[in-house]
Amino acid sequence: MKSMINVEKLTVKKRGTTICSIKSLDVQPCQRIAILGPNGSGKSTFLRVLAGLEQEFHGKCTVNSPQIERVYVHQNPFLFRGSVVSNVTYGLRARKRTESSALDTAGSILRKLGIANLSNRDVCNLSGGEKRRVAIARAVILRPQLLLFDEPFAEIDDDGVSKIVGLLEELTESTVLIASPTPISDRIDAREFHLLNCVERNPSMD
Amino acid sequence: MELIWDGLKEACQLVLTFDPLVMSAAGRTVVISTLAVFLAAVIGLPLGTVLARVEFRGKRVLILVIRAAMAVPTVFVGVVCFALFARRGVLGPLELLYTPWAIVIGELMLALPIVLAISHGAIKSLDPRVAETAMTLGAGSFRRWCTYLSEARTGIVLAILSAYARCVSELGIAMMVGGNIKERTRTLATATALETGKGEFARGMAMGLILLLIALAVTFGIALLSREERES
Repeated sequence: MKSMINVEKLTVKKRGTTICSIKSLDVQPCQRIAILGPNGSGKSTFLRVLAGLEQEFHGKCTVNSPQIERVYVHQNPFLFRGSVVSNVTYGLRARKRTESSALDTAGSILRKLGIANLSNRDVCNLSGGEKRRVAIARAVILRPQLLLFDEPFAEIDDDGVSKIVGLLEELTESTVLIASPTPISDRIDAREFHLLNCVERNPSMD
Repeated sequence: MELIWDGLKEACQLVLTFDPLVMSAAGRTVVISTLAVFLAAVIGLPLGTVLARVEFRGKRVLILVIRAAMAVPTVFVGVVCFALFARRGVLGPLELLYTPWAIVIGELMLALPIVLAISHGAIKSLDPRVAETAMTLGAGSFRRWCTYLSEARTGIVLAILSAYARCVSELGIAMMVGGNIKERTRTLATATALETGKGEFARGMAMGLILLLIALAVTFGIALLSREERES
């Protein structure tokens, strides 16, 4: 089976400092991977490379999925001005789905995440955890081939986490990578991949 | 003080009696300025976005030139337009001189650098996650552009308002390429200058006050439409 992600000797440098370094990683389609590592180990940078947001890197990084099928959710997600539902349907509208069909799907996703009551609320009036759930709903609704979450469980209560995990389990055709500074094995069944702190192994810092 | 009071009284009288000369000058001012700013927005907003999002050679110099163009005196634009539209000018055969279209084009030259410079600044200062989020959610280039404009709408509204304020009250271009022809190219600004020049201070003041009212009405109208106040 063709790998979804194949990485070999990937290095990302910013102003001469290595901020992400991965020797080798192979991810099969539909796998769940937890990218674990301390702050500064390059988890976000790695996800950004996979999402196509970081273009400058050395080594090999092959993602067998078109750009439109890779959805990345930032560590601090950005919500567009407007209502929750207009944010959640953004990607569907970009994919030319009809307004009524997009609204139906959004309603169903928001209900599953337990935030259906926020549907028409202006995003300015949401708490940090609510914003994160909306951003997750906005990504999950697209059912892309590759989902990249940067610390998705931060600021979210246990009930919210279990609802997100339940939703991810429904996405049987998506490959999901979750970056987290702490283990998430108690929350989701995922293969673990550990990153070391780049500062510790950066030869120029030795 | 008496002059201002008389001006206020006459302004009320002119407006309440729908004075035909004042009404036609006011209508012409609004139509010409609106058209010029509309064209400036149609050209300036996409170009402002390109300036903010695309890297190319000479971009910094171009931005400096555009910013400098914001301060160009209207009389200078008027002279340049006159040279273009005069019978022997490059655009002479179009016979635009002393027509409202000449004023529209002149005001477009005035409004365009304002729309370009302010919209460029507004889009440039957007959170980088706006573009990244739109891209990762699969937005095409047109939808991404609409998203930038929506996220930067405070700055975009400011750009439109500033351009409108400069156009609606400008005198040099309307006078030079419009010619201040009654019932044809007379705007409120040229009418104000004319009445004051004739010694009709109160009438001049009245015209000026109506101009001020239009500027205020447009400002409030756009602010209401863009819902800036409620959101901020």
